[in-house]
Amino acid sequence: MISPAAAFASTTFRAYVVIVGTVLLGSGVVLGILTRGFHRQLASIWRTYCGWLLIVPVVLAIVFAGRVAMIAGVALLSICAFREFARATGLYHDWWITNAVYLGILAVAASSLVTDPWLQVPGWYGLFMALPVYVVSLILIVPIVRNRAKGQLQNSALAILGFIYLGWMFSHVGFLANSPHAYGYLLFLLLAVEANDVAAFVSGKLFGRKRLREEISPNKTWGGALGAVAFSLVLPWLLWFSFPQFGPLQLVLTGLIVGVGGQLGDLTISMIKRDVGLKDMGSLIPGHGGLLDRIDSLIFAGPLFFHMVRWFYDVY
Amino acid sequence: MHAWVYERAGDLGHSADERARRIPREPAIATWCLRSVSQTLMRLVLRIGHRFEVVGREHLPPDGSFIMIGNHSSHLDAVCLLAALPLWRVHSAFPVAAADYFFATPLRSMLSMVAMNALPLDRDHHGSDGIVACRKILGTPNNILIVFPEGTRSRSGALGRFRSGVARLAAGTSTPVVPCYLSGAFEAWPKGRAVPRPLQVRLYIGRPRRFEHVSPDDRAALAAASAQLRDDVAALGPTLPRSSAGVATQAAGRRSRLPNTPSVLHR
Repeated sequence: MISPAAAFASTTFRAYVVIVGTVLLGSGVVLGILTRGFHRQLASIWRTYCGWLLIVPVVLAIVFAGRVAMIAGVALLSICAFREFARATGLYHDWWITNAVYLGILAVAASSLVTDPWLQVPGWYGLFMALPVYVVSLILIVPIVRNRAKGQLQNSALAILGFIYLGWMFSHVGFLANSPHAYGYLLFLLLAVEANDVAAFVSGKLFGRKRLREEISPNKTWGGALGAVAFSLVLPWLLWFSFPQFGPLQLVLTGLIVGVGGQLGDLTISMIKRDVGLKDMGSLIPGHGGLLDRIDSLIFAGPLFFHMVRWFYDVY
Repeated sequence: MHAWVYERAGDLGHSADERARRIPREPAIATWCLRSVSQTLMRLVLRIGHRFEVVGREHLPPDGSFIMIGNHSSHLDAVCLLAALPLWRVHSAFPVAAADYFFATPLRSMLSMVAMNALPLDRDHHGSDGIVACRKILGTPNNILIVFPEGTRSRSGALGRFRSGVARLAAGTSTPVVPCYLSGAFEAWPKGRAVPRPLQVRLYIGRPRRFEHVSPDDRAALAAASAQLRDDVAALGPTLPRSSAGVATQAAGRRSRLPNTPSVLHR
């Protein structure tokens, strides 16, 4: 079980602190050389980089603080992400249905925190998997209790998408904290998904010609997408120490989930933004747009990774 | 099938300060919770520290939008008027607050918005923008506007001249104006004192008045309406001449601590 004491003892955790620190420092130096030495205009990239200097220590501190902090942190992110979604789509006008989703997210967090009453392991997986049934029922009951029909299909559909995707699916990342291999899984997932985003950006700049999905996101290119998949397929081999039990099949699957799934998550949120008519979901982190713009890939890739692990090894 | 309409939040991409100043405010659950807690705490302080009492609560309209006006002599005033309302109505009650003080810095803006639901009013531009914001508030059903028509806290505790803003808002509409008189607030926390004294504060609420037949363009009628409102507020207070501030106010303060109910209340 992860805790501050376990983090100190864990070679995986310490290795990731060193790796992430080196990457941040290295990219800072590279950016500095490009700006000073080659006089490139990189102001927006610097802002994004400074955003990372803020995010990385916070995320590492949460993983360091242990299981409860990790699950609570994911729940808080879920709530903030859903809030952005609700404000962007207008769902937040419906106070009752919005609160039903918040309640659902808290219930998902609680089911990840409690001990399984039958198996006596941390995290009640059975309840965690059953919760969508109860929460979707709760969301559908709201208009019935309030005796409303007009616009309720839209509101309940948005609330169900919000809960299932931003609440429940994303909460799989928090549930990973219950695993004995939590450090490896969590830190790899967080690092790989974000590195995949950066790889897509960089390889898009270098090889980007043909538009990937111009109706959804005009700035993404096939060059960027394929470059990121290639990078993500290599990364699990480099960080194999995070999950020594994995064989080549699992490493390839992990690479595909992060590489392809991560970009699908990005496109999913882009699709929502495009339909609603927004550029960014919010302005929470300087240089990163809203919270949803930052965690979009993780929401898609996290649960797929979780179930890949569970398929082969069980989470525990 | 009709296309879905996304009525997204009007303050997307705004800074926290802009959000605090913006009217109408977008609903936010965290703000709602924090305001409920802070209002409950303020009510507790009033009850315990100032033995706060409300006389004439039955005069408050149970629903619909209305304006509450009162004498202004301390920072307790807006808190007291809010405390006369049921807790759930606090989120749709807007005390009009001077933007140059209560919204001077982003932190103050947030505090004024979260704790008091204050509505920023620019005192320097003679309030035409402010009147628009107030009309917006009153145009929404079940909103309450809290205004101190003297425009600033009284230095002596005496009731000053009323500005015409409230009369302009109410003229030609069916919006009721509820007069209130706070007694003891000046003695408890006069202008210039850092912390309040634990003296009793009592709020008298009078019958609402409407100005449906007053023309909003008739300056003389508006002045008369303002004077009428001032009389309504003064009539709720202790029946002493309040023109010669000093002595009379001290006496009034002393008297108001006695359990007196003004005779005009139930006329």
